[in-house]
Amino acid sequence: MIKIVLLSLVNAFGIWAAVVLVDHHKWRAFAVLVAATAAIDAIYLAKRWTLPLKFLIPGTVFLLAFQVIPVAYTINVAFTNYSTGHILSRAEAISNIEQNSLTETNNGASYSLTLMRDAKHQLVLALVDNSGHTFIGTPQGLRPIPRDKVTIKDGAIATAQGYTPLQGSELGSIDTELSAYKVPVGGGKAIEPQGFDSAVVLEPLYRFDASQNAFVRIKDGVVFRDNGRGSFVAPTGAEIEPGWKTYVGMRNFGRIIHSPLIRSPFLKVFVWTMVFATSVVFLSFALGLLLAITLNKPGLSFQRTYRALLIIPYAVPAFLALLVWQGLLNDDFGVVNRAFHISIPWLFDPNWARVSVILVSVWLTVPYFFLISLGALQSIPSELIEAAEVDGGGAWQVFRKITLPLLLVAVAPLMIASFAFNFNNFNNIYLLTGGGPALNNSPVAGATDILISYTYKIAFAAGKGQDYGLASAIAIFIFITVGTISAISFSRTRALENLA
Amino acid sequence: MSVVERQELSLPSVAAQRRKKRPGLADTWWRHVVALIGVVIALFPVAYVVSAAFNGDNSLRGSSLIPSKLTLDNFRSLFGSQRHTTGHATFQNAHYLSWFGNSMIVAGGTALLTVLLSALAAYAFSRFRFRGRRLGMLTLLLIQMFPQLLAVVAIYLIVLNTGDVFHFIGLNTLPALIIVYLGGAMGVNTWLMKGFFDTIPSELDESARVDGATPAQVFWGVVLPLAAPVLAVIGLISFISTLNEFVIASVILETQQKFTLPVGLWQFIDQKYSEHWGPFAAGVLIAAVPAALLFAFLQRYIVQGLTQGAVKG
Repeated sequence: MIKIVLLSLVNAFGIWAAVVLVDHHKWRAFAVLVAATAAIDAIYLAKRWTLPLKFLIPGTVFLLAFQVIPVAYTINVAFTNYSTGHILSRAEAISNIEQNSLTETNNGASYSLTLMRDAKHQLVLALVDNSGHTFIGTPQGLRPIPRDKVTIKDGAIATAQGYTPLQGSELGSIDTELSAYKVPVGGGKAIEPQGFDSAVVLEPLYRFDASQNAFVRIKDGVVFRDNGRGSFVAPTGAEIEPGWKTYVGMRNFGRIIHSPLIRSPFLKVFVWTMVFATSVVFLSFALGLLLAITLNKPGLSFQRTYRALLIIPYAVPAFLALLVWQGLLNDDFGVVNRAFHISIPWLFDPNWARVSVILVSVWLTVPYFFLISLGALQSIPSELIEAAEVDGGGAWQVFRKITLPLLLVAVAPLMIASFAFNFNNFNNIYLLTGGGPALNNSPVAGATDILISYTYKIAFAAGKGQDYGLASAIAIFIFITVGTISAISFSRTRALENLA
Repeated sequence: MSVVERQELSLPSVAAQRRKKRPGLADTWWRHVVALIGVVIALFPVAYVVSAAFNGDNSLRGSSLIPSKLTLDNFRSLFGSQRHTTGHATFQNAHYLSWFGNSMIVAGGTALLTVLLSALAAYAFSRFRFRGRRLGMLTLLLIQMFPQLLAVVAIYLIVLNTGDVFHFIGLNTLPALIIVYLGGAMGVNTWLMKGFFDTIPSELDESARVDGATPAQVFWGVVLPLAAPVLAVIGLISFISTLNEFVIASVILETQQKFTLPVGLWQFIDQKYSEHWGPFAAGVLIAAVPAALLFAFLQRYIVQGLTQGAVKG
């Protein structure tokens, strides 16, 4: 019964969405939607063999839409030059160049301009040329208007039959419309307004030559050829903007290896990512274990209180703790400096910033290792410890030879998981230092940037432009690194036995 | 050694501790010293936030462990009803209440639906034998190793294009953020849950089936109630990790009214941190409450879960 209601709702939504998609002429999305809805109906109405699917479908829909497709898209983008200046398709880029590479001609005719609106309230240009001829210019073209239908004042048209001049108050709000306004006059030339009261004839800088499949610079005949990487380039190396998005093969990966501008910061960031993740895991484990050993004493007073207080950093959402630490470590007013009467530039000196992100991350992670170490310690059979003690082992020896190996069996897989987590711990870096402070020889990477925050900056940081292709290539590199580590950890644990 | 004695040693219950003689301070003093140092370090930032939240001097410069003047002004400024705002930085243009509400909607909605979706999938993997089952679970594991935030560019473009047609799941909407997070609902959670479902004896389902229950009725009526602890833990983990999520939220949400707490507070302190310290601390204190309460209620299960497998870290 409930099944029928839910299925009807899904279908109702599907039909509504299909109508909207048809409305927007999104045919591909429409086809996918109809197929998906039909498949869902078939699965839920069929009798037996689709039973497991009935339980798997709901999660899988989201998994496909927001995990599988984005991953596939990222892999796709990694092999393109998708970046600032290479966003459009090739055809869009060509028409964009043709329309926007207009420049004033040497003997360019100029016009006196009056902005007017026609009967349909569309913006038109009322023009008078140097020899006194009058025209009306629209985005469709230029046509003459007889002198007896206009009045001229100070060399410009003051009134025109069928048109109303724009009032002063209207002029303020048409800037964007005006700057894109062009009156084509044939031969690729166009009349463009220059301010509110004059207009000039512009002619294209480049001409697209379909036979050569290249742009030709009109004034000197230099040919700009498709370089196969999404740009038209002259033999001199000059490039016409914009380029277009195209597949560039392994080039993004090649840049990581060969381009010194990318390789050097990339290597620095990679090494720091390893150092960061490794030191956070080992320091946190060491301190967590120390606390666990300390509290693992049957009958110790306040044991529960200590435990409850020690895991507080784990109970507070990490982003809050990180933002608070950012304030505590502030070098001018920060509590840490004032409490100890020191003035350490915790977040503004490259090396101190690295120390800070490690310390704060350890602060956040110790409770986790404390809890799992405590659990693991308590599950070690005490006979083993006692037997070792009876055999004359000292405390340190017992710990080294008995406790630690047994503990590591349980904790090592979690250490690897924690390493993989910290390898991509964007928040711990970004919310504390923003990846900074800046390194003087690298425009994008900061001293504390790990690979994931470096990737984020390449993709989204303004300034140096956005390079989605390179960012996606690094994302794949991260995926392979973390995937390998996780695969090793999984094969060494018995998690896969779960499959039985 | 008998079984009973062993249990006492490995899992010291309160009763067992009472029966035993407490170890003397002479043996344990160092344990107290280490534990106290740990507690001081763990609580130091918390103490400062609490003090700053109630302190009358709301600049970072004026903050101290003992508030110079106790006041609730910082809290009032969060809710826009502070009367004496002269000379005090406030969340004037900030929308703390919206951020808090948005975070609760997004994290709560994501957590609930994550539990539902991954429980459904885990039930299929645990109870049915079908072709592609093993492959399905391994694929899930592999896909999940690619963190969603690595694909943030693609996610942004997908939401952007969807929004052109369906505005309610476009950029700058909370539903868009929730469904994006649901892309990561399966994976690890399904694995954890399947492990738990496997421990529920299948004789229980079978007897329900014999009594005429459909697989769906077995799922809702038998398995889910028995799996309540693991559902609660996965819900909490999902809630907290969604609450913490910054990257995708910062890319999808565009205006102050739509921000979640991480995005909002990050922007808020990014502007003039040192002057906003008081209201910021009050905001942090309130924001920490829901997660901390959930954590306190579910602590027992979390500690169990942690010792059994990687849960968060």
